[in-house]
Amino acid sequence: MTRSFLELSQLTTRFGDTLALDNVSLNVTQGEVVCLIGPSGCGKSTLLRSVNWLQPPDAGSVWLDNRPVGQIPETGGKRAHWRNPDLARQRAKMGMVFQNFNVWPHLSVLENIVRAQMVVLKRPRAEAETRARALLDEVGLGDRADYWPDDLSGGQKQRVAIARSLAMDPVLMLLDEPTSALDPELVSDVLGVLKTLAQRGMTMLIVTHELGFAAQVADRIVFMESGRIVEMGPPADLLEAPTTDRLRRFLDQLSTLNPFADAPHAPSAVATGA
Amino acid sequence: MKFDISYTFDALPRLIEGAAVTLQVTLIGFLLSVTLATVLTVARTIWPWKPFLVVLGIYVSFIRGTPMLVQIFLIFYVLPVVGIDIGPMTAGILALTLNSCAFVLEILRGGLASVPKGQTEAAESLGLPVLTQWRKVILPQVFIVSIPPLVNEFTMVLKSTPLLATITVVELMRVSQQIFSRNYHPVEVLTGAFVLYFLMCFAVSRGSVLLERRLHVRRA
Repeated sequence: MTRSFLELSQLTTRFGDTLALDNVSLNVTQGEVVCLIGPSGCGKSTLLRSVNWLQPPDAGSVWLDNRPVGQIPETGGKRAHWRNPDLARQRAKMGMVFQNFNVWPHLSVLENIVRAQMVVLKRPRAEAETRARALLDEVGLGDRADYWPDDLSGGQKQRVAIARSLAMDPVLMLLDEPTSALDPELVSDVLGVLKTLAQRGMTMLIVTHELGFAAQVADRIVFMESGRIVEMGPPADLLEAPTTDRLRRFLDQLSTLNPFADAPHAPSAVATGA
Repeated sequence: MKFDISYTFDALPRLIEGAAVTLQVTLIGFLLSVTLATVLTVARTIWPWKPFLVVLGIYVSFIRGTPMLVQIFLIFYVLPVVGIDIGPMTAGILALTLNSCAFVLEILRGGLASVPKGQTEAAESLGLPVLTQWRKVILPQVFIVSIPPLVNEFTMVLKSTPLLATITVVELMRVSQQIFSRNYHPVEVLTGAFVLYFLMCFAVSRGSVLLERRLHVRRA
């Protein structure tokens, strides 16, 4: 049986009494950019965090590149995963970018990008530094290599975090609301970097509230609510002609709160649909 | 009776020898305690096995809830009874280590709580092995925020070393006693010891301020 490049199958996650993920399956092909949208608490971040087993689900499995990322052990028990060397190897193939950047404050910008390359990929320091500097150039921070993260703006920290992930030569990027913690004027720098990545054919899974951005970069948008995938499809279909009431309501709320002038879902279109 | 400072100066060479022993037991005891507490902190986080946590909790509350002098005597007198024969020096260092470790554990617990979970998640998602996550990402941050309380704990250990005089460790306090029990000038001799204790503590806390300032400048 051939598997999809990324295959999430029947993921279920409970937080106490809440079902954060309710039997969710999703396949992603190589080079595809998928944006996850939905109201807060809908499970989109949980889904993203399941992909690299940062939040191991209670049931289900994740396969990347024909190898399991994590599987629930027969004996149960979530804890057993921490010494699984296969998991670390699979994780290194996936770059993860967090809402709060999670750049390491005790290391310089350059060291942030160099460390994992040396430890996980066994690259010699010189090679790791060359790669780090090249990536910093790409994200527009070539002159910040020797800065401390605390001296950077949020947008710059996030671009350092992106460079840190890219240094591992990932085949998949996971982005968890990468611009939600940024001041509005810094958002475009980060989105610009992500667009370039998408154009180069990087497979990406992005949790985002930036519908305008999603419309531009996504091959497919997935709308989630209450731990389930409610609707998915190409941005044009999904945003302009939502088939479910729930998505229509969600888009309506968003456009009232935060109208995108260039977004394909003009309030009028939504109103007609309703 | 008047204060004759020449007794202080006469005693000084021996007092300094005693101070060297004080510094030695403090350093060894403190380093062992920080090492042990670090290992226990990592262990209880990645392996939160209930009985282990309970035993740790009991240990910490026993240490914090009993006088240190009693702990020192207990280790000094009880270990030979159960067949472990160690000299007063080793027993003294062991007592300092076990006592201080309980407090360092609490300091590191606080430091660990100040490191956001995302820091570890970033390391985890890059595929760093668990122990590397601790060595390169978590512990450096824990120790940076813990410098002030750790330095304070170091001076607490230093100031508790006179208790070791009671089990015949020849440190600064015991040397002082030996000297003034011969020359009957306790005030002059103890003044010397007083000043030496102060200088040691003062040097350490000054040093830590400079260290902190450097780390601060580095991280702005």
